[in-house]
Amino acid sequence: MRTRHLSVLLAGLTTITTAAFAPASAAESDRWQVPVAVKKLDNGLTVVVSEDHSSPTVGVSVVYHVGMRLEPKNRTGFAHLFEHLMFQGTPTAPKGVFDQVISGGGGRNNGSTRADFTNYIEVAPVSALDRILWLEADRMKTLDFNPTTLKNQQDVVKEEIRVNVKNQPYGGFMWIDIGQHAFQKWENNHDGYGSFQDLENASLADVQSFHRDYYGPNNAVLGIAGDITPAEAFQLADKYFGAIPGRSTPTPPDYSEGLNTQEKRVNQTDALAQVPAIAAAWKMPARGSRDHAPMAVLGSVLAGDEASRLYQSLVKRKQVALSVEALYGLTDPWTYNGPTLYTLFALYKPDSSADAVLAAIDEEVAKIAQGGVDAATLKRVKTKMLADWYNGLESYIDRADTVARMQTLWGDANVVNKIPGWIEAVTSADLQRAAKTYLTRANRTVIDRRPTAMAAPAAAAPSGQN
Amino acid sequence: MNMHKNLLALATSLALVATGGAALAGPTAKLPSQLPPLAADKALPVPQIAQKTLANGLEVWVVPRKGLPRVDYVLAVRNAGFAADAADASGFASLYAQLLTQGTPKRDAKAIAEAAQGYGGTLAAGALNDGVILSGYALPTQSEAMLRLLAEVAQQANFPDAEVKLAQANALQELKVSQAQPGFKATRALLAATYGDHPYGHTQPTEAALNAVTADKVRAEHARRFRPERALLIVTGRISAEEGFKYAQAAFGDWKGSGEPIADTAPARREAKPQRLFVQRDGSVQSAVRLGRPAIAATDADYIPAQLAGIVLGGGFSSRLMQNLREDKGYTYGARGGLNALRAGGIVQASADVRNEVTGAAIGEFIYEFGKLNDYPVPAQELEDTKRYVAGGYLIGNQMQASVASSLASNWLYGLPPQFLGEYVPKVRAVGAEQIQAAAKKYYATKDQSIVVVGDYKAVQSQLKEYGEFKLEK
Repeated sequence: MRTRHLSVLLAGLTTITTAAFAPASAAESDRWQVPVAVKKLDNGLTVVVSEDHSSPTVGVSVVYHVGMRLEPKNRTGFAHLFEHLMFQGTPTAPKGVFDQVISGGGGRNNGSTRADFTNYIEVAPVSALDRILWLEADRMKTLDFNPTTLKNQQDVVKEEIRVNVKNQPYGGFMWIDIGQHAFQKWENNHDGYGSFQDLENASLADVQSFHRDYYGPNNAVLGIAGDITPAEAFQLADKYFGAIPGRSTPTPPDYSEGLNTQEKRVNQTDALAQVPAIAAAWKMPARGSRDHAPMAVLGSVLAGDEASRLYQSLVKRKQVALSVEALYGLTDPWTYNGPTLYTLFALYKPDSSADAVLAAIDEEVAKIAQGGVDAATLKRVKTKMLADWYNGLESYIDRADTVARMQTLWGDANVVNKIPGWIEAVTSADLQRAAKTYLTRANRTVIDRRPTAMAAPAAAAPSGQN
Repeated sequence: MNMHKNLLALATSLALVATGGAALAGPTAKLPSQLPPLAADKALPVPQIAQKTLANGLEVWVVPRKGLPRVDYVLAVRNAGFAADAADASGFASLYAQLLTQGTPKRDAKAIAEAAQGYGGTLAAGALNDGVILSGYALPTQSEAMLRLLAEVAQQANFPDAEVKLAQANALQELKVSQAQPGFKATRALLAATYGDHPYGHTQPTEAALNAVTADKVRAEHARRFRPERALLIVTGRISAEEGFKYAQAAFGDWKGSGEPIADTAPARREAKPQRLFVQRDGSVQSAVRLGRPAIAATDADYIPAQLAGIVLGGGFSSRLMQNLREDKGYTYGARGGLNALRAGGIVQASADVRNEVTGAAIGEFIYEFGKLNDYPVPAQELEDTKRYVAGGYLIGNQMQASVASSLASNWLYGLPPQFLGEYVPKVRAVGAEQIQAAAKKYYATKDQSIVVVGDYKAVQSQLKEYGEFKLEK
């Protein structure tokens, strides 16, 4: 689950933005300005277009501004179950049509659910664009609510949970369990995959009201990237979506939370795992705050790749861990709109311990908090982050989705062109501040997950395995 | 390293996925009358590949592209992968490839990683059955420096003792992690059942093989495996052909091989007696079900029709297996299958992880779908849809310069010519339903498939009787 967020849009006018970011140290030939054009339809649907004729294909993303945070309280997992139901047909296009039309048009499609949004994505030869937009508009209007498809997808989602959680060593504890312990409010701390009981209790009435409340055009952003002009895309969007009336959306509860003030340590045993693992998570700064970009850069300095401080310390020098990975909820450092976590996940060696891993992490964090980061390292990390940002935008499906997400969460699709400049502006002093403010012991939640066979009988830890 | 993939898979899958269509509707769903028509297809873009062979035998292909600011390099070395591993060194190539970037006389592992980071890229190596791929990418202004780094690693990797020891120790732990996963056990059993003693049958590491690795052995293998006349360098991105050739000559012009080159891989078998194998996994709440048989190499005349048959069977969300086992029955999160063709052979396989209670029923549906593919020609609309699906995949893959480079590299490793990439879609379009059915009869006959189940035997035993006698493995 990753967090995403929202956007407020300019009412009704078309802006073709050419925002310039120009990091002083990046050569002209290393820069890339992603074309972004935005228009809001009368019914509230915001359309974002990124024109690129280098391949005769097109990427489409419809992002709805609802995710796990806003699912009904006794229906954990509902936002994700609902995502599955969006592929189960409508009165006009019955079950089977959606996939057949996309595949038969040469395309690929998928959907995903995160804390703050749900997206539906396609990529296909541009010859299929009208069909894709027609299908997306059709399911925005209504679904075929019926018990057979509901039961079918309840079964499929339960298999998804078995394959990804219950039958897997570690069972996603680094993104499921960690949030349950790190957050205080239900919106932020429940299991977005859901309990089997809640999933089974989902009714057709629940499906109906969720669609009515959150799946209207005014709560969505349509992103299109690829072989099409903005004018053509806006015209097609209006043709297929323009007549869908806006629907009122419930006011979201206040799910904001401050940083944590006391460290939390949790021990779990794992019947399927053979090697111990640890997840350590810290609450992130608010999206768009002055500490946001510094925290993103700090995250990369610590655990961005093999050159990172923690990889070099934990895996190479101290040799206490097999791996170290950074997670940002279920998204990335730029895509969240409520409380989210910077999480380090490491498999550690049986002759080491969670404490040894944490001590090594603390040591590296303390170095940065005290002395900052040298200029050469900072430059290298920023260069890599800039390149990574571009790389994530290469495919049309990802580009369409990114601009749609940015529009949804930041209210500004052109954030896609601002992020390189934000990265460039981060200083060593910013990193010191971020390290001192966020990567503190008090703000930290830790889960130590050990194979059942390794755990001492005395440590009667709650089992993480269901 | 293994874990990295797993973690990503977990994280994204959480989010990912959903789609459907009914098995009954499925490939024959009636399209709504309001559905707009497809627009006319645009011409298929064919990558323009500038080719040159250096004096030492290294082939260099440059594919200049506009688009994002990046230059990609892929160095593919033939006969350097799993197929070159000795029978008692199963999975060696993987550890060896990882170690390529862990030191040269000029730089230690940290300096290599930092250099790559500073170029805005990554340098990484991995093993495939038919070769090792060393690849790197960088921002355009750093592209020449990145190629020099890649060349330094390819020619001067020195495999420091301490790095080999660390990688070996970590690989042993990672093997434990892998062995906890049902898919790993299922793959091991299916590869053994299909390929037998052929090197393609043992590509996963074993404890004994990892324990036997020494720095000296790694160095000796590197000398045997990496040589210019067995290698291809592909350059894609914001770079001209001229520049690409110039950089390649400067970085690789002096590269020389030494000693005896490794012999080509012997052909893998094309037939095997079907087996029934059950791999016990205590407490499993699902069964990992796999079916498969040996098939053909990528250069075989049947390659394209056999591959198309596999896509109809299990290639995507609207494939028959997905529509049946997931969308109609709700047995699984995903079912897939098809042909995996390599240089010296290949396999047909199909897979799904299903809950214990429906393990036998799921096997029955696999058998039904294999049978249907044999017994009936693919209906015209489904065939047309499948061809469009393949053509679309080609276009989508060609958007990404790294995927163009890796497709060209794998085709080359398989023995397919560079123009195969551009010819692929027209060749697919020329295949008829009768050729697909003929290929299905040859390679997708139910009677020829081995069946592997990884799960809790006590929980599913009674459902398996009608599929034969399962040999129990640990």
